[in-house]
Order: sequence, then structure tokens, then C-alpha cells
Amino acid sequence: MGYPFWDIPIGYGILMAFIGILHVFVSHFAIGGGLYLVVSERAARKASDGARLEFLQKLSKFFALTTLVIGALTGVGIWFVIGLVNPAATGVLIHNFVWGWAIEWTFFVVEIAAAQIYFYGWKSMAPAAHMAVGWIYFVFAWLSLVVINGILSFMLTPGRWLATGQFWDGFFNPTYLPALFLRTGISLMLACLYALLVAARYPAGDFKARTVRYTALWGVLGLSATVACQYWYWKAIPAGIITKALQAMPTPINSLHYSFWFAGGIALLLVLSGLLVPRNLPFGVAVLLMAAGLAWCGAFEWFRESVRKPYIVTGYMYGNGVELAQAEQLRKEGYLVRLAFRSGDDDADLFRHSCRACHTMSGYKALKPSFEGTDRAFIAAIVQNTHLLKGNMPPFLGTQSEAQKVADYIASHLEMRSLGAIYGLQDVELGRKVYDIRCGCCHVLGGMDDKTKSFEGLNRGDLENMLDDAENLGEGMPAFTGSASDRAALVSFILTLNGGGKK
Amino acid sequence: MNLPDSSFIPAPLWLINVLHLFTLSLHFIAMNFLFGGILVVLSAGSKDRWNDPVVKRLIKMFPSAMAATVTLGVAPLLFIQVVFTQQVYSAAIVSGWLWLGVILAVIVAYFALHRAALKSDDASRSKRAPLVVALLGMLYVSLVYSSVFSMAERPQLIHSLYARAQTGLILNPEFGDYFLRWLHMMLGAVTVGGFFVGLIGRDHPHIYAIGKKYYLWGMVFASGAGIGYLGSLTPYMPGFMHSPGIWALTAAIILSLGSLHFFFAKKFLPSGLMLFVSVVGMVTARQYVRLVKLQGQFDPASWRVSTQWSPLILFLVCLVVAIATVFYVIRLFLAAKPAQPGRD
Repeated sequence: MGYPFWDIPIGYGILMAFIGILHVFVSHFAIGGGLYLVVSERAARKASDGARLEFLQKLSKFFALTTLVIGALTGVGIWFVIGLVNPAATGVLIHNFVWGWAIEWTFFVVEIAAAQIYFYGWKSMAPAAHMAVGWIYFVFAWLSLVVINGILSFMLTPGRWLATGQFWDGFFNPTYLPALFLRTGISLMLACLYALLVAARYPAGDFKARTVRYTALWGVLGLSATVACQYWYWKAIPAGIITKALQAMPTPINSLHYSFWFAGGIALLLVLSGLLVPRNLPFGVAVLLMAAGLAWCGAFEWFRESVRKPYIVTGYMYGNGVELAQAEQLRKEGYLVRLAFRSGDDDADLFRHSCRACHTMSGYKALKPSFEGTDRAFIAAIVQNTHLLKGNMPPFLGTQSEAQKVADYIASHLEMRSLGAIYGLQDVELGRKVYDIRCGCCHVLGGMDDKTKSFEGLNRGDLENMLDDAENLGEGMPAFTGSASDRAALVSFILTLNGGGKK
Repeated sequence: MNLPDSSFIPAPLWLINVLHLFTLSLHFIAMNFLFGGILVVLSAGSKDRWNDPVVKRLIKMFPSAMAATVTLGVAPLLFIQVVFTQQVYSAAIVSGWLWLGVILAVIVAYFALHRAALKSDDASRSKRAPLVVALLGMLYVSLVYSSVFSMAERPQLIHSLYARAQTGLILNPEFGDYFLRWLHMMLGAVTVGGFFVGLIGRDHPHIYAIGKKYYLWGMVFASGAGIGYLGSLTPYMPGFMHSPGIWALTAAIILSLGSLHFFFAKKFLPSGLMLFVSVVGMVTARQYVRLVKLQGQFDPASWRVSTQWSPLILFLVCLVVAIATVFYVIRLFLAAKPAQPGRD
């Protein structure tokens, strides 16, 4: 609330994911690739294997260009993006962990210098000196992971820091170690995938066979470590977060499931093309492996980012940049008086600062489909009770009139026709839509807080009475404010649920 | 539970300022070498300069200079965010897309420099075009940076610009705020570029002469732009004249003249040292301009200081280790036998 709001048509999540996942994909390769290069160089020099040294030199050119340019700059890019999309959270991290970042920077300086010297020194440096630079590169690259991992894992599990505010309590948090080993495993796996991409360009033959098999072994090792540590990581996340995610958050759980599928795909391709028939590894398969690796990184990072909802720093700051410590004050005073930057349109400002960090009107996590065909009273009721909705949303901490302003803003972007007219539905199908929109945001059929069983034995009259009294049925229940046709259709639909409501 | 208050700075203000100004000066030196060096290579010398071994060497150095510019730019950006958190983020948000475009521009420039450096032929076109692309990328970055950081000094301007549009497509429309400063910086980069070209080509009279020319005239024009910029600061001049900034500026001017003198005498070590310290002086003077402009709106001394001693000490230890390691790997590289011709 102390900052302007960057109002852009695409979702913040998409923007963050685009740069963040790309960075993760390259930066982990920058670590594992460093180890792969120097260990392989040592083996090649020991065996006087000129062909392999030539391959490693080619790989190091690809490595240097990818990591120095894309890796380094997407890393800076993440900084730029987080400062734009969540300056309050970035401020919290900067003030608490600036020395962590500064330490990482010193490692980064060595990393960049060593990477260039390793690349440019292939032909001119003595083997021992060249390998020494390679080892220095790898050690400092891994140390930079050791540091940044503390800040990343802090956001999900700040641990004792919430009570002490001490640097090391936040840094060595409950998921620090599993995340460190997990990311080390990812680094090894990605080193293999990148190296296979270069190796796949070689003609079929003995050299290709042994290089691909050797590299695939790195991949299998990395993948095994990754999968094992992912389980460890999952177990280290506090039970409360996991329980909430399992109950109400399909996004992180689906992402986790996708990551298993991608890991399985990588394993299959590595064994088939890398270990069983390495002589003919086609370039297309190597590209497919890279795509699966990128998808794995995306799925895992998406899980990590979304499982901590509604927080950006668990237990400390909500995703929209509101500190929990401000909650009481906000409930009394509202948001508007605390907005440092105003656009002149209070409705829009309130919407931006309370909803827009996660939702767009019609793009990413769109609100339009959730509210189209409803009314201002319903929208305002939902805004005031966001904490009860599926998806672990942050609470709306403004005043009642501010909730109404947010509702006005949302309503002004909607088609205010009836649901039946918008979707061309009637009877039970219309009722299903009404249920999805008006009831399903809290009561998911077959899922979170499913009330189907409570409808058993009720007839149309009972259900009509229930809708008349909806606002008194439980905490945060809005009154039914839909049209008569919506109401009749909803009742018809609920009457079809008596069999168990698994439709 | 009482949650921690994150409104603090984790070290004494003076220390964060010193780290900010020192690392920013290092960043400027690397950036100036890169920008000025590219400009000199593109604009000076004869048509067949692309075959000149010094020019080839310079072009091969540019990707490393870019790496140094980026790497050394990270630290000052980090430290400035600690102190001027609200000002920097707010200004960046108002220019959101353009600010983000900096990353894209640097990636393009970086690739272009690698392309020029890795091309083994001597054709001018294969090197000139990527160098021009890199130069344009850097010009974009410099302009956006100047705009954003000039807005960060004027919170009221950010408020009014934000009220006008929230989509992050605004540069500071008050061009007078930063045009002369930006011009001064760019001409300063040409000056420093001239120094490095002369230094690297010191054994080649024609290259050294080019370096001298750019160093001298770059300084003349940069001084002109700098005086113009000072003139544009009239409302803030009394505050600046009463701050240590004026002493830093005076020292910087004297040192830059001294650097020029030693450069003409081919005494590169004292010249280089004076040049670096003069950049530190300019950067310090600029910091005082920022403070004067923000007077009454934000005082960095108002931060609560809660020093995180053990991470701070660890950082200082790591810094020393990192510097020593960088010197060590560079020494290993320089100790190697030069590559044979054709073994590129």
C-alpha cells in the first residue's frame, strides 16, 4: 500500500513464472554443468581422450553463453520483476536478507570471472590450472545456491524468524536443507539434459554412445536425488500448509502431480535413449528431454510459489503485500487512508491493491467468469469473505464501504445480464451454473466443504426456504440475490444432487 | 504473536552508503570502458581498423566488460534499495515496462557483443552491426536508468505521474531533470573509454593517439554537460554548496585533470587511480544531490538501525575471499602461454 500499483493486462503470476522458471532452468544448469564439465574434463585428460575434450570445449561455449547471458540476466530480471509486482515483500526480503544477497553477490563475482576464464582458457591454460578454475567455478556456483536457497525457502517456511526476527532463524528455516539437496539434485539432472543436447548433434558412433551413456548416468543420478529430496521437502513443509493445500488448493497439488509425470517422462527417455540405445540419440529426443526438464522446473516452482497462499511470506505478509501486523489497523481504518499513491479512482485503487496482485478481470485467474451474471450485493459479500473461499485467499481487510467499492469496480467490468442469457442455459444446466458461481466458490461438489449430504431429504419448498434464509446459514454466507429464474434453476439442480452430489 | 518489524536497515547507514558508492563507482568504470570503448571502435580510426590487433583485442574484451558491468551493477542496486526502498520501487513501477525492458536490452546487447567477439573473420560488417546493436541497447538502458533514478528524487512527481497512468509506460517527462546528467554520464563514458583504449593500445602510437583524443575531448564535453547540469540544479544549489558533495565534486574535478596529465605523460597507474577516485568523487557528489533534492520528504537517517553483525562480518570475509579468488583465477589465466594463431 506504500507503493504505486503496476496495472498490466497480464497476470503477475504469469510474468513471474516466465522469468523465474527460465532463470531456475538456466541457473541450476549453471551449477550442475560446472561440476559436469570439470569432472568430465578430469576423466578425459586422464584417459587422453581428445574427442571428449573437444566435446567438453563445445559444451563449455554453450554453457558460458547460456549461463553468463541468460542465467545472469534473468537473475537480475527476477529482481526487477519482484520489485515491480510486490515491492512491499521485496522490501521485507531486502531489509532482512541484504547481507545474504550481498554474500551471494561475492560468489557471483567469482562465478562469472571463473566461467569466462574456464571458457577462454581451454587452449591456452595448463590442464591443472584450467581444472582448478573449473573447480573454483563449481564451488562458488554451488555456494551461491547455498545462500539464495535460504532466502527462497524462508518465504514458504520462515520458522522461528516469525518469533525472533533474527537473520539466521529465517535463513536456516525448516525447508532449508531439503530444498538445498533438492536443488542440488536438479542441478545434476539439468547438467545431463543440456549436455545431451550438445552430444545429440554428434554423428552416431562409439564416441556418441559412450558420451551419451555417461551423461545419462548423471541424469539418472540427479533425477533420483531430485525425486528423493522432493519427498523430503514435501515432508518438511508444516502440516498446516499441506492440509490446507490438499483441502482447498488444486493449483499446487496439480502442479506437484505434473512434476511427477514429467520426472517419469525424463526417467523413461533417459533409460531408453540414454542408457539402452545411446549410439543414436536423436536431436529431437534431446530437445524433448530439455522440454520435459523445463516443464518439471515449471511444475515444481509453480507448486512452491502457490502452496504458500494466501501468503507471500508465510504467516507474515499476504500475497497482496499486506502485513498481518497491519490487519487490525486496516479493519478499523480501511485501505484507502493508507494508500500512498492514488490514481483518482478509488474503486480501481481498492481493486488493484486488494485483488489485482493475483487476479485479472478476464485473463489470468479471471474474475469475470466468477461474477458474470451476478449482482453487486453478491460480489460485495464475496469480497468481504475472501478468506472463506476455495483457493486460500487473503482476507479483505478494508471496510464494508470499501468492499462495496471493489464490488462496484468488478461489476462495472461485467455483463450484467442474467446467467441464462449470458450462457444460453436453462433448467438444471442453468442451476448447475448458478451453483458453480454462487455456491461453488466455497462449497465444491465432491471437494472442499461439500454440503450435498445436507440437502438429502429436502424438497423444493425446503430449499426455497433455505435460500430465503441463506445469509443466516453460516459465517460469511451471502444472501441469495439472484433472479427468480436463477433461483428456480438452482433449486432444480440441488434436487438432482440427492444421490450424493458427485456430478 | 508480535511479528518482526522489517522497517530497519541492517547496518549503520554510513557503511551501506560506502558500499553503495564504491560498488557503483566500479560499475561505472566497467560500463564506461564498455560504452566508451565500443563508441571509439565504431567511430575512430581508418576503414581497415577491423584488422588492427588492438581493435580485435578490444572487441574480444567487450563480452567480459559486459559481464563485469552487469555483475558490478548488482551490488549498488541492492544497496540503494535498502536505503531508498520506497523511492526506487515507486519510480520503477511508474516506468514498469520500460524498466523491465532494461533486461531485454542488456540480453540483446550481451549476445551482440559475444557475436562480434566470436566472429573470426575480419569483415567490418560482421563486427560493426553487432557493436551498433550493443551500443543502442546500452543507450536505452542508460536513458531508462537516468529517468527512473531522477524520478526517485521527486516523490511528488511520481504521485502525479501515477495519477495520470498506472500501466508503467512513463518516462520522466521533465526531460530537463535528467537530460544533462545523462549526457554528462555518456560523455564521461567516452572519456573513460578513451583512457582504456589508450591504455590498451599504449604500444601502438596510432591507437594511443586515438585514446588521447577521446580522453581529452570527452572530458571537455563531459565537463560542459556537467556544468550545464549543475546550472539546472539552481533551486538545490544552496543545499548542495553546504553539503560535503561540493568537496567531493571539487576533488573529482582536480583528480580528473591530474589523471589527464599523467595519461599524456604515459604514466598509466597514477592516471588510472586518479580517474577511479574522481569517479568515486562524482558518484559521491551525485549522492548528495539526491539527498538535497529529497530534503523535507525523506531522510535516510530516519531508518531504525538494527545491525546484523554476523551476516555482515561474513559478507566482508566473503568479499575478501572473492576478490582474492578472482585475482587468483586471473593470474592463472595470464600465466598461461598465449594461444597459438588460429587456435581461437
